[in-house]
Amino acid sequence: MTPPILSRKDMPFCPGCGHGIAVKNLAKALEEAGYDPLDAIIVSDIGCAGLVDSIFATHTIHGLHGRAPALALGVSLGLIDPDKKVIAIQGDGGATIGLQHLLEAARRNVDMTLIVLNNLLYGMTGGQMSGLSTQAFKAGHLIEDDTPPFDVVQLMHEAGAAFSCRITAPGEFKAHFIEALATSGFSLIEVACLCPSHGVKKLKELADVAMGDLKLAYERAPARAEYRETAPLFGLEKPVATANRSTIKERLGLVIAGSAGGGVQSAARLIANAGILSGLHVTMKGEYPITVGAGFSAAEVILSRKPIHYTGLESPDVVVAVTEDGMAKARSRKKEHTTLVLDSKLREEAFPNAIYGDFQKEGGKQGAALYAAAFWLVREGVLEIEALLEAARKHKHSEALVELIEKAGTVNSER
Amino acid sequence: MQLIDGSKIITEACVRAGADVYVGYPITPSNWFYAYAQKRFPLFLAGPDEISVLQWMSGFSAAGRLPVTATSFPGLALMVETLNMAHMMELPMAIIVTQRLGPSTGSATTGAQGDLLLLRGAISGGCPMPVFCPSNFEDCWNLAYESIQVAIRYRTPVVLLTSKEMVMTHKSFDVSALPEIKKVERETAKVELPYQSYRSGADGVPPFVPLGDETYQVRLNASTHGNLGLIQKGSAEAMANTRRLKDKLEKNIQSFTFYELDEEAGADELIVSYGISSDAARDAVTEIRRQGKKVSLLVIKTLLPVPPAILDILERYKKQVFVEENLPGLLRELIYGQARRKNIRSVNKIGSMIAPSEILNEFAV
Repeated sequence: MTPPILSRKDMPFCPGCGHGIAVKNLAKALEEAGYDPLDAIIVSDIGCAGLVDSIFATHTIHGLHGRAPALALGVSLGLIDPDKKVIAIQGDGGATIGLQHLLEAARRNVDMTLIVLNNLLYGMTGGQMSGLSTQAFKAGHLIEDDTPPFDVVQLMHEAGAAFSCRITAPGEFKAHFIEALATSGFSLIEVACLCPSHGVKKLKELADVAMGDLKLAYERAPARAEYRETAPLFGLEKPVATANRSTIKERLGLVIAGSAGGGVQSAARLIANAGILSGLHVTMKGEYPITVGAGFSAAEVILSRKPIHYTGLESPDVVVAVTEDGMAKARSRKKEHTTLVLDSKLREEAFPNAIYGDFQKEGGKQGAALYAAAFWLVREGVLEIEALLEAARKHKHSEALVELIEKAGTVNSER
Repeated sequence: MQLIDGSKIITEACVRAGADVYVGYPITPSNWFYAYAQKRFPLFLAGPDEISVLQWMSGFSAAGRLPVTATSFPGLALMVETLNMAHMMELPMAIIVTQRLGPSTGSATTGAQGDLLLLRGAISGGCPMPVFCPSNFEDCWNLAYESIQVAIRYRTPVVLLTSKEMVMTHKSFDVSALPEIKKVERETAKVELPYQSYRSGADGVPPFVPLGDETYQVRLNASTHGNLGLIQKGSAEAMANTRRLKDKLEKNIQSFTFYELDEEAGADELIVSYGISSDAARDAVTEIRRQGKKVSLLVIKTLLPVPPAILDILERYKKQVFVEENLPGLLRELIYGQARRKNIRSVNKIGSMIAPSEILNEFAV
């Protein structure tokens, strides 16, 4: 004989409240199914249904309005011993405000039982209507709202709950609870309840206003939490020593600008990596609108002899722009001393001293940015072509990148 | 050296420290955490919204796991009620907040330092919640570890307050200089019988026992409660329990006070900064000293609760300049309120990082 599930016989509810009957049925079901109190975790919501903690001898956790099913989901998937039973209890108000949580737990078929004590109204705040209040009930309360209620049993079934059931019949209904508790996966029981203070006061009237009994099953595997072993994102090994191969004196700030999908970010990252391989300190950051697949794409790279603290680039030394979108960036970033490296199609009189090249033609849509930047960096001796090639060889599309950089380097040697 | 970003460093440090569950909802500029967490955390779950995210995390924490998430203001705003719940239930967890330009949705891909006072006021009643703020990659590593460590040790949600530029900028960095992180072991609590979920020892922290324990009945509660974890309204025991939430952090704050103080002998002026503005302040200090002026620098890394050690340092300086990327000067307001103070100045800006030159302007003769 296991110890009793309830620690008290008196109920914390108003006399005649339907919640007491439901809670006693649940306790009997747990006892009959052989649960020790510490095998169960009661997750309670806010509202009258949330008063249950004190009468249970189980583990209890009392959370927020409408959130008990979400809290229970976390408990269930976090359990050190997954055989423990997680039972969430909420009212129809809680189910309304947190409907997303019910749907999500059912969709994932998380191993837990949810009991919705539906007294057709918000009891604690004065008897207001909830999303589960029926039309028949509302009509009797002079409420000018004939919107039909959510059928949570049907909804949970549609969302993927293994078991969902509504009880409106008075008396002992622990058999349904036993069935729900035995379910592997998400089970829901909605119990129509009396509310002697604001709602239906007689059992025989309940059947007239509540939605009818319903029981639905859906056989599918429950959610399981698999805690995996993973590899570190990086180790703490000493870095490989790099030779100093750059000609820059102190620091060089570079902006690369083009269009989304033009390889601007990966070009900047490659250049930053080549900078590291050349013994420099580097930073690299991207700038793009929130629609990453359209509009401009720009990136800043700083190459420096000394460690870099502030990573902003107030006054870039060189701005590379290969498309019209990029040109707009070039205009906004250019300072007096800035060198512009532009695709020849962007030729415009505002920049008489810009360096032009057929970058789009030679590098292609996705390669123009890297092609243009590599062309200028190698030409100026900022980076050796070998450092760029070494960085490119580590890339997943290394072949195309190596070819592009070699081509950009050849242009230089032909000049 | 390797090219690395703050999101990667923080994610790795959290897992090494013992965080085992990441629950996420994608939001710019926190998405890299989401991506790295998918690879690195023992368990990764995608929540349908930020309210669910923090509720799930609370469930995981109550069951004995150490959950982490990352979000930015719009997500944080949705989390505030559950943050209160986790604070009240005393559930360890870490929330990484990547600040971006507001108000509202603002600019998702522009950084900012605009959420400090939201965090200060997030807990109804004004109870403090530890907030750490990294100023560089070393801090990202160390404070991510401290977030997990402090969350477990003091049974509290901890916020790691970052900004877009801290977690989405790549830098060359020598990771071998970082200290090894030892997993924070969660010892099974030694408790006096009968066990009561909220009865605490001298340090003000009740021993943690997870839901589902075989020996002790665990009762956790988001409403005002007594030691047993059951609702109590207005009792002396319940009020003492509520006061303890504030006291447990304030009396232990020395163990998690972090800052960087670069003092120059004879300087009567102090630059105060935190987070993403700190590196500009470091550069500005170098330049100001090069010009022959004396100045000291304080970079605050434990923002909340405000450590007494920070106030002690501030009291030593007659003139102070607060450098932060927001309009009103939120740190300055946290320390001095809205009162006018002649010798407390601010360098503020929105839309992009404060540059060293903009701090220098404040020191120009």
